[in-house]
Amino acid sequence: MKRFFINITLLIIISLSLQSCNSGNGSSDSKLIYWCSNNSYEIQFAKELTEKWNKNNKDVSVKYQPVPEGRSSEEIILAAVVGKTTPDIYSNMWQGDVEVYAQAGVLIALDTIPGFLEFLAERCDSEVVEEIKSLDGHIYQIPWKINPIMLIYNEKMISNLGLSNPPKTYAEFFEASAKFQKDIDGDGYIDRWFGYSEVLVTWWQRFFDFYPLYLAASDGAPLVKENKAVFNNEYGVAVFKFLRTLYKKNYFSKEQLSARQDVFLSEIIATRFTGPWEIAHADKFKPKGFEYNFSCIPVPDDHKGPVYTYGDPKNIVIFKTCKKPQAAWEYVKTLIDRDGDLKLLQLTNQLPRRKNISTISFFSSYFEQNPKMKIFANQSKYVRGTDASPVLKEVFDLISQEYEACVIYGMKTPEQAVKDASDAVDLLFLK
Amino acid sequence: MFVAFPVVFSVVLTFHKWNIIAPMEYTGLNNYILLFNDKIFLKSVGNTLIFLLIHIPLQIIIALFIAEILNQKIKLKGAFRGAFFLPVIVSGVVVTILWQQLYGFDTGLFNRLLTGIGLGKIGWLTDPDIAMASIAVMATWKNVGLYIILFLVGLQTVPTQYYEAADLEGANHWQKFFKITLPMINPTIFMVVILSTIGGFSLFIEPYIMTGGGPLNSTISAVLYIYKQGFFYYHMGYAATLGLFFAFIILAVVVVQKKFIEKDH
Repeated sequence: MKRFFINITLLIIISLSLQSCNSGNGSSDSKLIYWCSNNSYEIQFAKELTEKWNKNNKDVSVKYQPVPEGRSSEEIILAAVVGKTTPDIYSNMWQGDVEVYAQAGVLIALDTIPGFLEFLAERCDSEVVEEIKSLDGHIYQIPWKINPIMLIYNEKMISNLGLSNPPKTYAEFFEASAKFQKDIDGDGYIDRWFGYSEVLVTWWQRFFDFYPLYLAASDGAPLVKENKAVFNNEYGVAVFKFLRTLYKKNYFSKEQLSARQDVFLSEIIATRFTGPWEIAHADKFKPKGFEYNFSCIPVPDDHKGPVYTYGDPKNIVIFKTCKKPQAAWEYVKTLIDRDGDLKLLQLTNQLPRRKNISTISFFSSYFEQNPKMKIFANQSKYVRGTDASPVLKEVFDLISQEYEACVIYGMKTPEQAVKDASDAVDLLFLK
Repeated sequence: MFVAFPVVFSVVLTFHKWNIIAPMEYTGLNNYILLFNDKIFLKSVGNTLIFLLIHIPLQIIIALFIAEILNQKIKLKGAFRGAFFLPVIVSGVVVTILWQQLYGFDTGLFNRLLTGIGLGKIGWLTDPDIAMASIAVMATWKNVGLYIILFLVGLQTVPTQYYEAADLEGANHWQKFFKITLPMINPTIFMVVILSTIGGFSLFIEPYIMTGGGPLNSTISAVLYIYKQGFFYYHMGYAATLGLFFAFIILAVVVVQKKFIEKDH
């Protein structure tokens, strides 16, 4: 009898658990659930804009909540999709992930919502609209914010080299690197390098070296197009050659330096490829008298015209579990209209993906107060996100494998490494 | 239920392509064909075996040596035993990060010691020929305390009369060690071998944190590779195939070891 009651109790507990899992984050008919990033600035952003919305829209209220804690927000979203507990709206979706979810049929095709395309055309350039289109021709994401990758440099160190500006081309970069590298402790090994990039093969590390350099050299060319690798070209090879020389001549360290004190702020290196998040970090931790600035990604010597870079775009999506997509879109509009964008700048110091943001007078007072963000705003006209492909991580992984063999260890020529990476990507699409 | 379902599901998965969010797609034996053509996976299995070849003998020799010393009448015996066991209870992640600092090329303690005595620096984690050995040394340091305890237990079960008889015969310390101690603690040695083998096959945290599997995939272990396929790229079907194949390799090794133990007994 006792065992019977234990079994019944267990059954009830399991049923209730499953029931609660099933109901999860599914919104009620009149309430939308919005998951924002879990950093305190973005939570504040979501809080302020949601309160404003709820005050003016009594019929459809929105509940914001930070994306649940986990190893990464990508994993949390994946778990939510699998468990069918997705929120109605999610911001901070990496552009490269969208195609997978679009193909799995869990996102709403936003171009089917009345007024979406008109709003988008007003906010973004046609190039951006084209970039976010999925392979099936629909649009499943709303361009929200970007963090362009640029070259941060130590002003004093650059001027000590006799340079009035940071190096812009590969030749200038090599020249400055050669002048800068030093063996401070006299042990016969270089211990001051001109720059540093993570030597790990992890696929996303290439967003901070190969990919922005490739975009800069090629004026924003894609890596893959119509299920084929298209980076086996003069630009891909030039970037591999450039990076290989940096490591071969010890201008960049092969050692993993990231585990110790910030090597840029402690003046071990003079430059680094990074994004606008570095501003808050550097301002907080820089030693007295330390001055830094940002410049474009270096380009091949014969390059002409504007310099592109990787924008690290994070976008907003509406999941198919949403019962009121039109209302969700109306709410999202308040996050990305001019007021929303200004709030994003003021509260998070992150750049909205809005065309001509650096010249619109509405934002000018913010940029006057934050001149370093103005550099990123100027760059924002020339950024690229990622290509629409469901196997983007594998593509970057394959490039990363060849990058390590060629750039770090010099075991392959740049031509061979780029060709091998390209062939491997083509093979990936055939699988 | 909790064991059978995952096992059966994994086997089913090996015949499918599945990225968790899209429906499973039947692919027949495709995952198995991919496996035998996957150079990185084969390399990862080879790396794991290299790790075991360095780690197991090193662990046994060091653990036995220290256990033998700690089994003597020495002062602060308890404190030493505690000190040697301490790394075992420290988090693997913490130990790995600490050793990463020790192995640093420019600022690491080991290279500072080498340059201090006029020798050149070594790329402990950046030289593809050395990186796996460096990880094996670190893993040995981390786990050796546990095996010291096991050997101590083994040593204390050896009857003292054997040593007394050997003393009467005029045997020296080495003779007693090789003729009495080693044969008597054989079961402990085999237990240590099996535990180290199973632990070694699950090598993951160390390369994951220290090297990410590099340089040039020289430290990528089979488990790390399976994890990457499953949880970086969501190739669940393929990861299940690799996992199943690797489980058979472990099974084969353990069966061979078991045969040795039975033969010895």
